Amino acid sequence: MNNLVFGKYIPIDSLIHRIDPRAKLIGLFLMIAAVFIPKSWIVFGVIALFIAIGLILAKIGIKMIVQSFKPMIMMMIFLLVINSLTIKTGEVLFTIGTFEIYSDAIFNTLFVIVRLLLMISITTLLTATTKPLDLTMGIEWMLKPLQILHFPTHEVAMMVSIALRFIPTIIEETIRIMNAQKSRGVDFENGKLGEKITAILALIVPLFSVAFERAYELADAMEARGYVPGAERTRYHVLKFEFLDFLFIIICAAILAFSIASRFYL
Amino acid sequence: MSLIEIRDLSYSYNESKKAVDGISLNIEKGSYTTIIGHNGSGKSTLAKLIAGLLPIKQGEVIVNGLKMSEENLPEIRKELGIVFQNPDNQFIGSTVKDDIAFGLENKRVRSEDMEPIIEEYANKVGLSAFLDHEPQNLSGGQKQRVAIAGILAMHPNIIIFDEATSMLDPKGKKEIKKLMYDLADDEANEITIISITHDIEEVLQSDDCVVLNKGKLFMHDKPEKVFEDAEKLRQIDLDVPFIEQIREVFRKQHIKLKAHDMEGMVDELWRFASNH
Amino acid sequence: MAIRFKSLSYIYDKDMPYAHKALDNIDLEIKEGIITAIIGETGSGKSTLVEHLNALLLPSEGSLEILDYNLVANQKIKFLKPLRKDVGLVFQFSEYQLFEETVIKDVAFGPLNFGFSLEEAIARAKEALKLVKIDESLFETSPLELSGGQKRRVAIAGILACDPKIIVLDEPTAGLDPKGAKEIINLFVSLNRQSHKTIIIVSHDNEMVYNCCEETVVLSHGQIKYHGPTLDLFADEKILKEYDLLEPQIVTFKNLLAKKGIKVSKQARTIEMIAKEVAGQVKR
Repeated sequence: MNNLVFGKYIPIDSLIHRIDPRAKLIGLFLMIAAVFIPKSWIVFGVIALFIAIGLILAKIGIKMIVQSFKPMIMMMIFLLVINSLTIKTGEVLFTIGTFEIYSDAIFNTLFVIVRLLLMISITTLLTATTKPLDLTMGIEWMLKPLQILHFPTHEVAMMVSIALRFIPTIIEETIRIMNAQKSRGVDFENGKLGEKITAILALIVPLFSVAFERAYELADAMEARGYVPGAERTRYHVLKFEFLDFLFIIICAAILAFSIASRFYL
Repeated sequence: MSLIEIRDLSYSYNESKKAVDGISLNIEKGSYTTIIGHNGSGKSTLAKLIAGLLPIKQGEVIVNGLKMSEENLPEIRKELGIVFQNPDNQFIGSTVKDDIAFGLENKRVRSEDMEPIIEEYANKVGLSAFLDHEPQNLSGGQKQRVAIAGILAMHPNIIIFDEATSMLDPKGKKEIKKLMYDLADDEANEITIISITHDIEEVLQSDDCVVLNKGKLFMHDKPEKVFEDAEKLRQIDLDVPFIEQIREVFRKQHIKLKAHDMEGMVDELWRFASNH
Repeated sequence: MAIRFKSLSYIYDKDMPYAHKALDNIDLEIKEGIITAIIGETGSGKSTLVEHLNALLLPSEGSLEILDYNLVANQKIKFLKPLRKDVGLVFQFSEYQLFEETVIKDVAFGPLNFGFSLEEAIARAKEALKLVKIDESLFETSPLELSGGQKRRVAIAGILACDPKIIVLDEPTAGLDPKGAKEIINLFVSLNRQSHKTIIIVSHDNEMVYNCCEETVVLSHGQIKYHGPTLDLFADEKILKEYDLLEPQIVTFKNLLAKKGIKVSKQARTIEMIAKEVAGQVKR
């Protein structure tokens, strides 16, 4: 579980870390749009360059980015196979046995892969430099317009932040219960289907009962400390837009503009 | 008028058994009251009723002149804070700072006023150096101290400790008990402390002790008085202080010890021994 | 010898920049047929050590012999199930492992996994439940409906039913009331007396350790700082102070008596034993 890199916050200080989470979220959407529009390698190169600058500023090592790509490798191979089977336009690049591989299949796949990799890099850049709690606050802010429709943005944000706070606790709990059941002879790796189902039950049932117990106690603790769902509260963390944040959004918007323009002029 | 008045209070989770059964008692302002009893004696239920975490179905609880009811609950909540048993299940914020801030946010303290309050109370529980730490990197004792800081920051008159030390290691227990004793001794703030506990050493430090058995009030007296009759306590599955155990065992050897501490008892034994 | 650690080390997140050595060159022999306590502050490596006894963790360096099994660093093992049957591990807050619909099914779960037939597993479960004093009327209820103390005892029965040769308990009394705690400790003491089971108890409760455990291991920062007779350990004020170990009240009492010249033998570990010895020296 510790190998999971995607979505992990890196607690250091950097220029990118200091940008307002709302600005980073807006930037994320602008950049993702910018990645999906162009059809030119030059534009991809420019975007990649900006992302690389961002990663360097955020002090994120190349190793972490490469690791975050790992889970996608299977998907990329799958994509390549599917595209090779279905896309029959362009020139024939080479043949495997009697099977012909067309250039468009390769280029299409490469396009998708490059877009995916860029997207993952952008998202990693966001999650690695933004505390989960700040991210929640950013998302809450972006959902604000939905309040008109009586969407409980604040409660949702509270739920998400509590969930984030409890992830490490639940992971610990999972390992503990798995160990206890292993000691009782449960084999989580091997076994027939029936045994597998029992093994999963032996993990899930206790995990749920603990989680519910925690939830009840947490609810009591929150209530005892004066939390009333839906009631107005002040906030300890107040987000403030500053010059750096506007600059960041402007840069992202410029990249998007360049990317759109490329469709017409390149 | 007592700070907390409990009149003929009963509560049951299901129809077959009463968890709290006709309890009446008063708790005075500024006092340190311990509540003891075996598991299932109704201690935690009583604490939750006093804290307004369970609805009053029968009898009444009056806190600072206000009768516990749905309308009065928000007012009463301002009077009291509760520290629970499991340090993991009451840590709400993702850092020490955020957790102390949680109650302040509910109280609608202005965000620019929070920082000094957070620092003051983190300092009070000795966690100034841990403000930005996350809960998973704290010890059990430290987590409980965060909970106490969060409660103190709300300026309550009453703090309920619901077995707050029972899941901690000896070091954590010591930390939290020291903090509780300091709060009890703090004349300036006159905080009333109610502590549900199994820790006899702690009971001996308190002003009053409430003994519960099967949901009923068994005794409410000074701790020394409560522990006078060891046999009676054993009957309801309670532990007896070590000093009383010594007295009891030696009595069976026909040696009567009268002292109230171990040194005194050893002195008595020494006098007996040097007589022959 | 039931268990033998040979220069065993365990490193969490090996090869990572934040690697952490939880056990540091442990050499330890735990005797058969006695109760051994493992004590030390939180984070001293007690749980890591215990998890090795069920091959939940494997040594990073060195090796470990348990009964006839041999765990060596960087070697795959093929005897997981028999090892886990022979060494019963009762985890801290063991009630969280209960999951079956009925108490009896839950207790029989372990024996079934270890290859006992259904009838045999049920028979063993019944016997184990009797040992932990769970009334027959509760056998068919859901374990989740029991009280905290009962749940703990059912979980323990789930381990005892597997008929382990060695029983390892990680803080078996944490969170229980004094009566519930005493019942559980008495259960293991009598198991040890009657069937000479090897028992290892990880605990913070030095009163209990003094009272029930023949030998004690003191761990600190992943290293063994003391291993020997419990009575000798608590007679040594220097070690107690150095490793911040709480002196049992009974030891305080014995020390006070000794200071006044009242003789009490080292073997006296209960007030009753002390009183008897003192009574002989006192003229009433």
